[in-house]
Amino acid sequence: MGQDQDSAFRFEGRWQDYAPIAFTNLLLTIVTLGIYRFWATTRSRRYLWSRSRFIDETLEWTGTGMELFVGFLLAVVLFGIPFLILQFGVQALALRGHEGIAGLIGIAAFFFLLFMAGVARFRALRYRLSRTFWHGIRGGSDSNGIRYGLSWLWKSSVGVIPFWLLVPWSMVSLWNERWRQMSFGSQSFASQARARPIFPRFLLFYLMPFLVVIVAGILMATFGIAMVGFAAGGGLPLPFQILTIIAVLVGVYLLLGLIALAYYAAFLREAISNLTLGDIRFRFEASTSEWIGLLIVDILLVVCTLGIGAIFLSYRHWKFFITHLEATGEVSLAALGQSTTREPGQGEGLLDAFDLGAF
Amino acid sequence: MAEPVAAWHYDGRSATRHAVRAVPGPDGFLIEGETDGFGSGPHRWADVVALDGTGGRSVYGLKGVAGWRLIFDGPPPDSFAVHLPLPARYGRVIDRFGLTRAVIIFAVIAAALVFAVLSAPIWIAPLVPRSVENRLGDAMIGDFGGRFCRTDGGKAALDRLAASLGAQEAGVRSVEIANVPMVNAVALPGGRIILFQGLIAQAGSPDEVAGVLAHEIGHVANRDVTAALIRQLGLSVLLGGIDGNIGGALNGLLSLSYGRKAEMSADGYAIGQLARASISPDPTAAFFDRLGRKSGDKGSLERATAWISSHPVSADRKTAFQRSRVAGKRYVPALTAAQWTALRGMCAADRHAKKEKGFNW
Repeated sequence: MGQDQDSAFRFEGRWQDYAPIAFTNLLLTIVTLGIYRFWATTRSRRYLWSRSRFIDETLEWTGTGMELFVGFLLAVVLFGIPFLILQFGVQALALRGHEGIAGLIGIAAFFFLLFMAGVARFRALRYRLSRTFWHGIRGGSDSNGIRYGLSWLWKSSVGVIPFWLLVPWSMVSLWNERWRQMSFGSQSFASQARARPIFPRFLLFYLMPFLVVIVAGILMATFGIAMVGFAAGGGLPLPFQILTIIAVLVGVYLLLGLIALAYYAAFLREAISNLTLGDIRFRFEASTSEWIGLLIVDILLVVCTLGIGAIFLSYRHWKFFITHLEATGEVSLAALGQSTTREPGQGEGLLDAFDLGAF
Repeated sequence: MAEPVAAWHYDGRSATRHAVRAVPGPDGFLIEGETDGFGSGPHRWADVVALDGTGGRSVYGLKGVAGWRLIFDGPPPDSFAVHLPLPARYGRVIDRFGLTRAVIIFAVIAAALVFAVLSAPIWIAPLVPRSVENRLGDAMIGDFGGRFCRTDGGKAALDRLAASLGAQEAGVRSVEIANVPMVNAVALPGGRIILFQGLIAQAGSPDEVAGVLAHEIGHVANRDVTAALIRQLGLSVLLGGIDGNIGGALNGLLSLSYGRKAEMSADGYAIGQLARASISPDPTAAFFDRLGRKSGDKGSLERATAWISSHPVSADRKTAFQRSRVAGKRYVPALTAAQWTALRGMCAADRHAKKEKGFNW
């Protein structure tokens, strides 16, 4: 097994088959004031997982809507309500003029939230692995994510301090730490991603101010002659000035987005391509231009359907992920025993509360 | 015993796929390996769970054994099908009713809930004890960070104005001027009204301040503040289920103001109080007019629109004040010239009051 080098992972879904699921999910979510969304997520995942083939068998999603709902309720009770009260208290303190104490409580709350965001990310991955079956075997983790939360807290703080220069290091080392604690069946994941290969991409962020100046210079040189003509009459007409400012602003944001995308593409390639499970080595080969293509079609799909197309985004993203995911090596089925990790009782409530992605 | 049927099987202990024969019986079935000496059972029909199959396959799990799978290529054989459950589709409750009926039932319940949450605060608010609301308001506001302006003369003028507009009977506990350069006035929980210095500076006469103050007293009298608090709480709970921005935006939109009816009612209260105190309603109408036009100015745009954004100025509201004027009635100024001067100069005179330039209300 594992001889087929190029397509160990295959996506076999069709959007025509997914459409009835997506539309009924939308309908039920609306009429239940949003409560159905946990069951909707489960239905979509059941479809997407069952259409994702690894070697000779499809994946299977066994999570339930009720688990996600209970996770959400827990997150609301344990964090939502205390933070509502805290926010109210901080506001009252600030209004009464105790800005100092209000600020301190605010900062403490911020760091606590950062810590919980790390725990949430870890637990979401653990939950998803524990509900993903292949050949009757599931994944999981023996860690509860508290230690990872602390790592996340200090590594993401330290990464930001020297002018964000250590962000690639913190992202990669957190990725490794997260995956090294995950397992599938009787085998553990190993992760050896490095920060060095993706660092040049990250430096593009620092290059951007110079790029902007250069582009502006070229523009000036091109339109300079026209400007001289206007200068005699008191500068450019107002609409043209406004258009120029808008063009520059849009350009800067677009450039920033492109750099972020290029960096993230490099990060995911490095991260996934150094992930192994037993003798299986994973690979992820989505290039920046493929990411751009994904996002442009996403935007067109949502805009041209006045937002309704958004129900297909999770389908598109999962398909993108699986089609670019590859694996090589041998799977020894007889040696791959069932996972002995504890099955988490509820879903991704925390992650839900912090609005983060799992990967 | 019926005929054995060929199937695939995962036992949930290892990833090995077994080719097996499933042998159905009256209470359950056995699994026998075709080549190896593998086998298990009997398994009870009641423990079988139907799962989604792909590519025409039928997949079944077994309660209590994670990863245990029995897979038929194609639909399950008849000898099995009679015993096996159908796979869940939308969720247990919805599957029982059917999609269409479930959608209708949920839609009716949702509409009833939204209606209840939107209308309930109006009749719940009067049931909330004043003492609870007072404690909440005091906890929220305190001394407003020392931003209140207080001089003996100005305070006396303000209290006299409030008293003439029926503040005490309405349940108003304090009226203050805050040293914030915003053209705004708010009624807060606990019967506390705050006029911002920017509004006092903009007003041309005490009668204009009286109109705005009477309106805010109207909100306190009608317990609109409590109703708004309850409504916001209810909406955030109700719409908490909806993901992300839609819920947030809708919530913000609905709880932004007390609602048109409440504003009209507060206006009605203000008109009645002005008439009772023999204060002319014309300056208030003119003030509305001026604020509306002011919002066209560039520099003061943000400051001038603060009160308007929470109290939209409509032609109807202006004419309501104008119409309440009784021809031939002798109106008196809301404050004497000396009182008005004391009120206007209060923030400049009170050196203890903290000045707030960019206060973000």
